[in-house]
Amino acid sequence: MAHNTPHNTPLPRLLLISSGKEAPLTGTPLLKQLQLLPRLMPCMIQIREKELDAKQLFQLALMAAEIAREKEVRILINERADIALAAVLHGVHLPEKSCPPDKLRAVAPELIIGCSVHSPLSARIAEERGADYLLFGPVFDTPSKRKYGPPQGVDKLGALCRSTSLPVFAVGGITPQNIPSCMKQGAYGAAGISIFEPGSGFVATFEQFYNTLYQ
Amino acid sequence: MPSSPFLCVITDEAVCPISLAEKALHGGAAMIQLRHKTASGSQLFSWGVEITRRCRAYGALCIINDRIDIALACKADGVHLGQQDLPASAARKLLGNSRIIGVSASSPEEAIQAERDGADYIGFGHIYPTLSKEKGFDPVGPETLRRVSALVSLPIIAIGGISKSNASLVIGHGAAGIAVISAVSRAVDPVSSVQELLCSLQQGGIDG
Repeated sequence: MAHNTPHNTPLPRLLLISSGKEAPLTGTPLLKQLQLLPRLMPCMIQIREKELDAKQLFQLALMAAEIAREKEVRILINERADIALAAVLHGVHLPEKSCPPDKLRAVAPELIIGCSVHSPLSARIAEERGADYLLFGPVFDTPSKRKYGPPQGVDKLGALCRSTSLPVFAVGGITPQNIPSCMKQGAYGAAGISIFEPGSGFVATFEQFYNTLYQ
Repeated sequence: MPSSPFLCVITDEAVCPISLAEKALHGGAAMIQLRHKTASGSQLFSWGVEITRRCRAYGALCIINDRIDIALACKADGVHLGQQDLPASAARKLLGNSRIIGVSASSPEEAIQAERDGADYIGFGHIYPTLSKEKGFDPVGPETLRRVSALVSLPIIAIGGISKSNASLVIGHGAAGIAVISAVSRAVDPVSSVQELLCSLQQGGIDG
């Protein structure tokens, strides 16, 4: 099933989430990732940097948007729709307990709005309030999420996908090898954080994800 | 902006912002600033809606700290931006000319820059020592306030350690209004503390 952005272009199936380790201003992993992105492979990048203040996020967002201009990447920022608008990004990703998506849509109709959800109930609320996509996880075991308990697993991913007509991105321990099991459960796309560390293997990993998602 | 001299009450993370706003408005505050650095976006939005509604009923203004997205979504009257927040020039593009933008400044340079960036008012301080916020620098004092009020044409809201005993003095030194947190939020009777502050403000032109 095809899903579109508010601009009526297809919603990419691959979502990269930033490391949370961006230093203010210089040499950040996010900017390296953006530079390395293959030109013709659409994806989304979510800026998720809880340690940065609004001014630093704005500066990072402006730099990211500049690099992204010649690529097929949609840049979203975590929670801060105002920074998305000010830096002319493509969208905002809302953690649970954010400002309701319909209230943001009313003042920012041009933004893609994604919502993190952890249950079919919150998926239903996000859908009723006009989200464009959902992010669900952690589906598989991942070191960064162990403190929150065991992973949700592919069955719960499937239950969530069946509870909504919105595109669902699976996150948490996703690899090119387990993407097919997520898509079989109805996932529209996949998201990753640490697997997309911008080193020598970045482009190969990105292409593996991309080709698996679009085959 | 409210007519001078006026009182702005800023919410305190240790006190329910809605009941504090209600009491402050009842006492006669002309501006409420919703400031909460740890609340979720959904919580801020709900508080913003409620406080904006109450401010309208009292003919006062509701200003949201830092979060322009929340201010837009809850249709508040404006935002207050610190030096680590979005620049006022960027905020103006999102808010248009009908919404108020305040900017915190603690030096003449920051105040002048805020005016250049298109702010509507300057929150200047801290004037006196204060326990409400951890500050990395000494109080600027009322003389600096006087200097800044001569350098910029924007209304200045003086903040930091302001009480009924020095409120009239800061108005006499060029402030259009004062902002307080704990002087109201931690008062035994917040409504009368607001009334007493307003009473002191009115004397600013006389003995300041």
